[in-house]
Amino acid sequence: MEQGQTISGSQAVIKVLAAHGVTTVFGYPGGAIMPIYDALYGSSVEHLLCRHEQGAGFAAVGYARSSGKTGVCFATSGPGATNLITALADAMMDSIPLVAITGQVATPVIGTDAFQEMDVLGMSLSCTKHSFMVATADELVPTLYHAFEIAASGRPGPVLVDIPKDIQLAQLEYKTPLQAVPDEPALDIAAISAANALLAQAKQPVLYVGGGVGMAGAVEPLRELSQRTGIPSVATLKGLGAVAYAAPGYLGMLGMHGNQAANHAVQQADLLLVVGARFDDRVTGKLDTFAPHAKVIHLDIDAAEQGKLRQPDVAISDDLCDVLPALTLTQDISSWQQQVAALKLQYAWRYDRPGAQIYAPALLKQLADSLPEDSVVSCDVGQHQMWVAQHMWFRRPEDHLSSAGFGTMGFGLPAAVGAQVARPGATVVAVSGDGSFMMNVQELTTIKRRRLPLKILLLDNQKLGMVKQWQQLFFEERYSETDLSDNPDFITLASAFDIPGRSISKAAEVSAALEEMLTSKGPFLLHVQIDDKFNVWPLVPPGASNSDMIEEVEIQQ
Amino acid sequence: MIHHLVLTLEQRPEVLERVLRVTRHRGFRVCDMRLSEQEDKRLLLDMAVDSDKAIELLSRQLDKLMDVSTCVVQGQQSMACTING
Repeated sequence: MEQGQTISGSQAVIKVLAAHGVTTVFGYPGGAIMPIYDALYGSSVEHLLCRHEQGAGFAAVGYARSSGKTGVCFATSGPGATNLITALADAMMDSIPLVAITGQVATPVIGTDAFQEMDVLGMSLSCTKHSFMVATADELVPTLYHAFEIAASGRPGPVLVDIPKDIQLAQLEYKTPLQAVPDEPALDIAAISAANALLAQAKQPVLYVGGGVGMAGAVEPLRELSQRTGIPSVATLKGLGAVAYAAPGYLGMLGMHGNQAANHAVQQADLLLVVGARFDDRVTGKLDTFAPHAKVIHLDIDAAEQGKLRQPDVAISDDLCDVLPALTLTQDISSWQQQVAALKLQYAWRYDRPGAQIYAPALLKQLADSLPEDSVVSCDVGQHQMWVAQHMWFRRPEDHLSSAGFGTMGFGLPAAVGAQVARPGATVVAVSGDGSFMMNVQELTTIKRRRLPLKILLLDNQKLGMVKQWQQLFFEERYSETDLSDNPDFITLASAFDIPGRSISKAAEVSAALEEMLTSKGPFLLHVQIDDKFNVWPLVPPGASNSDMIEEVEIQQ
Repeated sequence: MIHHLVLTLEQRPEVLERVLRVTRHRGFRVCDMRLSEQEDKRLLLDMAVDSDKAIELLSRQLDKLMDVSTCVVQGQQSMACTING
């Protein structure tokens, strides 16, 4: 199609996608988006049919997170669009670039409560970075271009474009809109000087690394800074993979289920260098006792995050790739490094648990050590998610997909689908729990349809484990609705989708089972029965300081 | 504490919803609001809000909205003393 050619709105949608390098979209058709699906038929853009719009949204999120590209998903009006909302909210909380295109009823009937009509623009206001409803055919192409620009720029996020059916069918003259080239912002030299002045005074600095590092493509400058300065480092759930796992001063995840060494180091720090992180409550515990003696340098592209929860001494909103190389450390911190090394040794994870049962942390450590270089681990939400964060290691942030800010059960399987599509040569493992797995189990059909070779590691304790753990600790062992002993036979379930599997329950079976899973050519489900008495430790109780972590306690049942 | 904000908004049907949603969600109560259309068709919103929170917690979030061209806090003071409530 030539520039200026008259085409339909739906053809224009596909043309804009192609112009943005979109090769795959995830979605589910329906009445109000049928013209776009018609234009999709036979086009260069591949469509992956998921079996629920939430699954399509998460698949697009998984695609985006594992590839660094913008994910795209389609849904129809009304229930199709409302089913997308959870995935949009998830993408919003974790700053994931996503463009969601929804069909809307035709403009003449908007506002009449027409069949499958919903005010999706109104619904989306709180769970998108921005949202549009296209009012005229002339607006369509510029709006879509704008949507892609907004989704990926600055702090990334989800953008929704709601397109009425008559606009999809309307004829329009296709013109590529002129896009303004933003001025390169000048680096805030004064702020960088102030940051370096604080660094020069610091005796016990800590790098607090968040998901913004990966989103900014700043992994290499961060690692260079870490190596050059030797500042000990900790990471948030989304920041895992940014710091080199084997770096001497790297202490792993901090926060509610963080490594004790990481939390103690932060509590003792006299300077926090916060890079692409936002003082989430799961990270800080009781906010006014978090790193109580530390000055703060806060680097974040989103100025609204600076001072939102902790007032920084220096705030910088420039591109991390420009700022990180300009930071220096002149102070000798060898004494602090030795203290941190001692903490790291003192609180090293232990895997020598006696007994024949499978200890999930040990299994996950073994899995991490067995994965090939090009691999992605996609998590669901719950105890297994925290064990993955604690006991697995990742080469890059995009190798670890986890619903961090929104904590969405059901995220893992469809996100793994998206990751496998984005990185077809990678070994993709969806680590799930029995509760989470059932939340989007219908996506097994998506795996079957495309014969995606992803592996599913299902940790089954027949419990809603994390909620049960809190009931044990904070609700007097009143186990309200957390028993899942009526789970289906997961191997039989997988076989109904032509996915082979194996079930294990003894530690002695782990090595062979992991090897079978990882060497299988197609999809595979490894069902692992674990003891329901295993809990996630340490734990910072709600409202407590990160200094007051609970170590493992025996629970009598 | 009463704060005064002056915002310039793009003329979009949903722009007021966006501003008011963020204002409510971030814990500010609207006390007074005056809206007028300017010659360039953009909207001028003069708004007074009440909260014990630092006004920057709201103004920066409003400034981030795509349809908000400018957001100026009138008589702005340092937020350092109030940021943690």
